[in-house]
Amino acid sequence: MSGLLDPFGLLRDAAYGAERFGRSLLGQERIRLAVTGLTRAGKTVFITSLLANLLAAGRGRRTLPALEAAAGGRLRGVKAVAPELHGLPRFDVAAHVAALAANPPAWPARTDDLSSLELVLELDRQSLFGSVMGPRTITLELLDYPGEWLLDLPMLRQDFAAWSQATLARLRSGPRAAEAARFFAFLDALPNYAPADDSLIREGAALYRDTLRGCRDKLGFRFLQPGRLLNPGPRGETPLLWFFPVPRLLQGELAEAMAERHRAYIEAQREEFFEPYFRRFERQAVLVDVLGALHAGREAFEDTADALAAIAEALRYGGGWLDWLTGVGVDRVAFVATKADHVPARQRDALSALLGHLVAAPQGRVASAGVATSVHALASVRCTEDDVATLDGRPVAAVRGVLMESRRSAKVYPGEIPLRPPEPGFWEHGFFEMPEFQPPRLDPAGGAGVPHLGLDALVAALIGDKL
Amino acid sequence: MSDPNAPRGPRVILEEDTRPAQRLDFQWEQAVVPVAEPRPTVRWSGIGRVLGGGALLIGGITLIDSVNFVVDQFGRGMLEGAATLGVVAGGIALIGSGVWREFRGLASIRNVDQARAAFARGDLATAKAEALRWAATVPDGAALVPAIQAARTVDELQLALQPCMQSLEQRAGALGRSAAMQAFAVTAISPSPALDALIFAWRGVRLVRQVASLHGLRPGLFGTLALLRRTLWDAATVAATDVVLDAGARALLSNPLLQHVAGEVGAGAVAVRRMLRLAKVSAEACRITPTQ
Ligand SMILES: Nc1nc2c(ncn2[C@@H]2O[C@H](COP(=O)(O)OP(=O)(O)OP(=O)(O)O)[C@@H](O)[C@H]2O)c(=O)[nH]1
Ligand SMILES: [Mg+2]
Repeated sequence: MSGLLDPFGLLRDAAYGAERFGRSLLGQERIRLAVTGLTRAGKTVFITSLLANLLAAGRGRRTLPALEAAAGGRLRGVKAVAPELHGLPRFDVAAHVAALAANPPAWPARTDDLSSLELVLELDRQSLFGSVMGPRTITLELLDYPGEWLLDLPMLRQDFAAWSQATLARLRSGPRAAEAARFFAFLDALPNYAPADDSLIREGAALYRDTLRGCRDKLGFRFLQPGRLLNPGPRGETPLLWFFPVPRLLQGELAEAMAERHRAYIEAQREEFFEPYFRRFERQAVLVDVLGALHAGREAFEDTADALAAIAEALRYGGGWLDWLTGVGVDRVAFVATKADHVPARQRDALSALLGHLVAAPQGRVASAGVATSVHALASVRCTEDDVATLDGRPVAAVRGVLMESRRSAKVYPGEIPLRPPEPGFWEHGFFEMPEFQPPRLDPAGGAGVPHLGLDALVAALIGDKL
Repeated sequence: MSDPNAPRGPRVILEEDTRPAQRLDFQWEQAVVPVAEPRPTVRWSGIGRVLGGGALLIGGITLIDSVNFVVDQFGRGMLEGAATLGVVAGGIALIGSGVWREFRGLASIRNVDQARAAFARGDLATAKAEALRWAATVPDGAALVPAIQAARTVDELQLALQPCMQSLEQRAGALGRSAAMQAFAVTAISPSPALDALIFAWRGVRLVRQVASLHGLRPGLFGTLALLRRTLWDAATVAATDVVLDAGARALLSNPLLQHVAGEVGAGAVAVRRMLRLAKVSAEACRITPTQ
């Protein structure tokens, strides 16, 4: 679609498609693996674990058995590509692993900037003439970024009026309204022809930002726009971010100024975030913190589903005739419930089943573009063991781990995971969070990878066909 | 508090012990130690089958024909028969030995790859075996054998091989310099650029083979192709070595007379640099230890 509007984009797509084809002929393929997930979904931890375990597998460690089986013993080595001079900051796997292994351990902080890393997998050729042709290589590109920014992708197609209306409607519904009360009071107090006064704008933007923060941190909501207002990135807040949705009836300078900034913001995000990193990719892993969404209550659960659907709507999965012409498109998409170590083994199937319902809309959209999809449950870093706890005299399956805060060992019963989105009555008791667990004992150098659950099955499903 | 199905959020049951607990330990490092992997099977690609089929047809029918012919000749007389048999057997033996050499050449390059992979994996047993095999093929390798056998880690092994690797590298450099000077002389006197290119390519291939034999490899045609592919495609190493080589080329051309000629020819300096680079990169491609 966007290809029609943008002939240069189309040309770039065509060049990209041709390059892909040439590379596949030479056996020097590149795969861009888009890891998408809302904030706190577990992207940074996932990428860390994936890279550490792949690098270890390249050294012959059997960290990813399913991948090994898919490669048929031909994986000869895995190397991180030396960073380019002008590229993005490098995703520092070693530092992340060292922080997880340290005493006391630390989970990665909220990501506030882009970083990327490329791995080269070297494989023996299957054919007899292999040694003449040299090894086959697959370059895997990965990108880490703040999860909040993903919600800017659906904004790219809306004009300011439509965006304002949708955003205000969302803020008025459910528990969000209480968080937004002060912002709404501010909007109501605005005169009909409000001037574009700088202090007024900053006050409104600050109130709007506090509203978004409250919704994110206290209520577990995710469909919050613009993403950079929540997580401005390394450059800090710039005037570009000072805008907020206004009611349709509001006219005059202020409304115009807001529309102006909204447009500028969208342009900037399109240029710096969407075009270079999300316009084209071949494989995608959609990470979802299903348990977190479930525990956050009904509205937050639905909000997460809406956010995922909106993001999927904004991404290009191919299947159109233009995509066919340029040879650009996504081949495989995996939906992944992260932090599966929060539930005992026998509940993990329920976790995948629930995820299947949560992502029904995006999965349908992706599948309609002819892309193969799969659903998984995994723990990037396994932090618990299965155990049995006694609750009210009944034995229940629980997990045991060491809590991050108190550093004490505890059994945690996460509740019964429903197989499908539960009835409203299920959520009577409000907002909960799983306690944070300490990562297990790790080798600080990360030479042997990190313990995980099901990561190998996911990687095999995503890139196994290329091996 | 009665129905565990009504979610009240996760229930946390702290253990009695109030002291900080030990972190969980899954014995991960032990669980993932490498095991000897089965060699992956080699599959025949489509083109491989076509070529193989062609070779079988040509070879098989020729053989059958030859046998028939020899039998016929024996029918004519003992002497004719014996002479024909000698000719046919000699021809087949020559072809066979050629094929065998090609095969050995390719296999020796595969061995280099295996050795390097073993070093990268930290697989001591394989690395040692490969190092011993390699030591038997290079001139002053015999002196290294005790040190190789004594090495207890891969790093130690690499350290033991280091001096020999360095001298090999120096000798490859010397080969490169002489090839460079020859290439330079050719560009200075040759009448046509096309001829330049031809002589160049020939000298380059020869250089690669010289460097390979320095490292104990005897690449045949296919082996040389494999080495060439590696040396030409390994863009990363080329970029890294370019800086060093520029200095080397300048030193070679520091003679005022040569500089004068180089100034006139122009391409001469490029030629020198290319040859030096080729020597360096092919030495990289032939080493059994990974480069630091
Ligand atoms: N037990 C367990 N906890 C996990 C796992 N993965 C992530 N977590 C928890 O989830 C938190 C968030 O993970 P991150 O990877 O930082 O999340 P993110 O998606 O990068 O979040 P943003 O950077 O805000 O977009 C971590 O601090 C961990 O506490 C896992 O595999 N097991
Ligand atoms: Mg992150």
